[in-house]
Amino acid sequence: MSLSTATRSAGMKKIGIAAAVTLLALVLLSIRYYTVDLPIYHFLGGGEGPDPPALHLRGEFVESNLGAAEGPSGSLTVRMIAQQFVFAPQCIVVPANVPVTFRITSADVVHMLSFVGTDYGLKAVPGEVTEATFTFATTGTFKMPCHEFCGAGHDAMRGQLNVVPRDQFAPLLPSERRTCE
Amino acid sequence: MWSREISLHPCFPAKGELVSNLTHAARLRIGTRWVATLMILCEITVLLAGRDSCTQSVNSAPPLRVPSNVTWTKETLRIISNGDAFRGLLLARRCNHCHGEEGFSSISTFPNLAGLDRLSFWKQMQDFRSGKRTSQVMQPIAEGFSARESADLAAYYAMLPTTSDPQDNRAFPQSMHEPARASIAIRLIVFGDGQRGIPPCQSCHGPVSYVKGAPPLSTQNRDYLEQQVEHFSNGYRANDINVRMRSIARQLTGEEKTAVSEYYGAGLGPGVSSR
Repeated sequence: MSLSTATRSAGMKKIGIAAAVTLLALVLLSIRYYTVDLPIYHFLGGGEGPDPPALHLRGEFVESNLGAAEGPSGSLTVRMIAQQFVFAPQCIVVPANVPVTFRITSADVVHMLSFVGTDYGLKAVPGEVTEATFTFATTGTFKMPCHEFCGAGHDAMRGQLNVVPRDQFAPLLPSERRTCE
Repeated sequence: MWSREISLHPCFPAKGELVSNLTHAARLRIGTRWVATLMILCEITVLLAGRDSCTQSVNSAPPLRVPSNVTWTKETLRIISNGDAFRGLLLARRCNHCHGEEGFSSISTFPNLAGLDRLSFWKQMQDFRSGKRTSQVMQPIAEGFSARESADLAAYYAMLPTTSDPQDNRAFPQSMHEPARASIAIRLIVFGDGQRGIPPCQSCHGPVSYVKGAPPLSTQNRDYLEQQVEHFSNGYRANDINVRMRSIARQLTGEEKTAVSEYYGAGLGPGVSSR
């Protein structure tokens, strides 16, 4: 009787230790998730897009190509880079009531471009281009904070979106579409 | 004897003829092979170059502007970390006149190099060499240093102490013109300004966290800092990768630029942590 209780309690102890170790591993993993998410993502075959440290040298995310640009079919594409701790360009001008395609990539860690007052959000992943098309109904100035913790300056990482009427947008030069001055 | 004579005698002329024939043919064959490989190589390079230029012109309709040729690849980091501080010490004789014997300049518009981190030092040297950062003085000097020598210098200046030395003729801690501005500087350095999208200085320049290529500012000269922030904001200096420093400096007001530069220049900024 006493022997069987002892073995059972020893068995329970082992299970308890195993459960504790598993829980601890899960907690540690969830706390340090941001250090393993990208390697796992790359292991699964992601991240075949532009090379994060060389965005400024070649490809579509070179400095002069950022901001809103009209495609050959008249569609509007905004190209952005998210990096610690500013978006490039930091302020973009888009027309109202026109579908705008955002293409965003990251130069270092995972960021998320979100639009205050809307449900829109775009995850910026290094080595990957995220694309989505949004339409902004109201004109005005909106904040675009980073919605994924990215480091010490994360709380101050905020872009700005200026939605202007369509007729006001058309005459703007490419350089004027990526600045709010 | 007989057999040896026979085997030897016809061998000589035959061998000689054969050899000469062989060399001639081989020479011809090798020659044609070389020409063929060269032609193929030429064609490949021409094709590759053509394709590259094609894709570039398609991708970037506006003229391509490259802020800096430096990329933080593993290869770049390897070159920089292989820098030898002793070789740097010998090379630094050329820099002492302006940047000081101990890496602290006696003139406030010249930057202090002591304690500067290796990556930012190396990047600035490469940008001076390629003309991505313009300076009448530094461009010709930087052209005299190879990538490896820049890495040696970077290693040397990174290990120089940033502690004060009363015997050294340095401009560094200059008291603030208006101490009342300190509160503006502290706010920007520690918290930044989220409403305008200005991240805190210390989140990239240390000591809270570092970004590759961002120099520590805690022992930098006041006038140099103010000048550089001004150059970033008006676009005269544009060698920051992905418009990072330009878009921040553009948001700062004149008073904020002065306040932050004076605060760091007075030696009040958060200290250099071990890197």
